[in-house]
Amino acid sequence: MEKYLEKFRFYLRLTGVSAISRRYFVMNTFDGALIALGVIIGAWTSGPVQPRTIIGAGLGVSLAMGISGFSGTYFVERAERLRKLEELEHSLLMDLHHSVHVKAQRTAMIWAALVNALSPSLAAVIAIMPFVFAHYGLISINEAVIISLMLIFSVLFMIGVYLGKISRERVIISGIRIMIVGIITAAIIMLLGNI
Amino acid sequence: MVEQPTIKRVVLDVLKPHQPAIPEFASRIVSCNGAHRVNVSLAEIDQNTESIKVLVEGNDIDLETIRACIEEMGATIHSVDEVEVARKV
Repeated sequence: MEKYLEKFRFYLRLTGVSAISRRYFVMNTFDGALIALGVIIGAWTSGPVQPRTIIGAGLGVSLAMGISGFSGTYFVERAERLRKLEELEHSLLMDLHHSVHVKAQRTAMIWAALVNALSPSLAAVIAIMPFVFAHYGLISINEAVIISLMLIFSVLFMIGVYLGKISRERVIISGIRIMIVGIITAAIIMLLGNI
Repeated sequence: MVEQPTIKRVVLDVLKPHQPAIPEFASRIVSCNGAHRVNVSLAEIDQNTESIKVLVEGNDIDLETIRACIEEMGATIHSVDEVEVARKV
C-alpha cells in the first residue's frame, strides 16, 4: 500500500497535476455549494415545498455535476497531456510509451477528473443532508433550510480558509470574503424569488 | 583464479525531460542494480529538456540495467563518455 501511495505521489509530482487539481477542487466545490444554494433557496422561496423534492433535485444536480466534471476534465486533460507528451517525444527524439511519463500522465488525467467530479457533488450532498432529516420528520423544512444554509456558508468559509492558506494571507479574512459571495448570492435569489 | 572484469565507474551524457527533477532522477538511478553512488551535473538546459552528465559508481555496473532505468524515466543516453573497468587478479 505504502509502495503504491509513493508511486502515486511520484506521478503527481512528475506531472505537476497537484496545483491544477487544487484549482479544480476550489472552483468546483464553490460551484457545487452555490448551485445547491440556488436550488434550495429557489425552491423554498417559490412556495410550499416537500423535502423529497429538494433531495431529488439536489441529488440530480450533484450527479449531473459529477458526471459533467469527470467527463469534461478527463477529455480536456487527455488532449492537453497527450499534446505535451508528443512535444516531449519530439524534443527527446524518443518514444516515451515505456517510460513512467505515460503512466504518470494517465494517472494525472484520472486524478484531475475525479477531483473535478467529486468536489461539486460533495458540496451539493452536504447541502441537501438536512432535508433527509426533514424527510423523516426529525426537523421541520424551515429548520432544514437554515441548517443547510449554515452548512453551505461553512463550506464556503472553509474554501476561503484553504485559499488563504495557499496564498499565505489571513485565513479568517479570506474565509469571510468567500462566504460573503454566498450571502450575496442567497440575498439575490431570495429577492428574485419574492418578486 | 582470474575473475571477469567488471565496470566500476561510468560517465554518461544523458538528455532528460525537466521532470523528474535531478535529485529524484539521481535517487532512482542509485536504486538500480549495481549502482552504489550517482553524481549528476547539469550541462545544458532547454525549453523541454536538460542535458546532464551522470556518473555512476558501483562494484559491478550493468550498463543495460542503468540504460533501462534511465529510459524508464523518459531520458535517453546520448553517449557513454567514460568507463572504468577493473578485475581482481
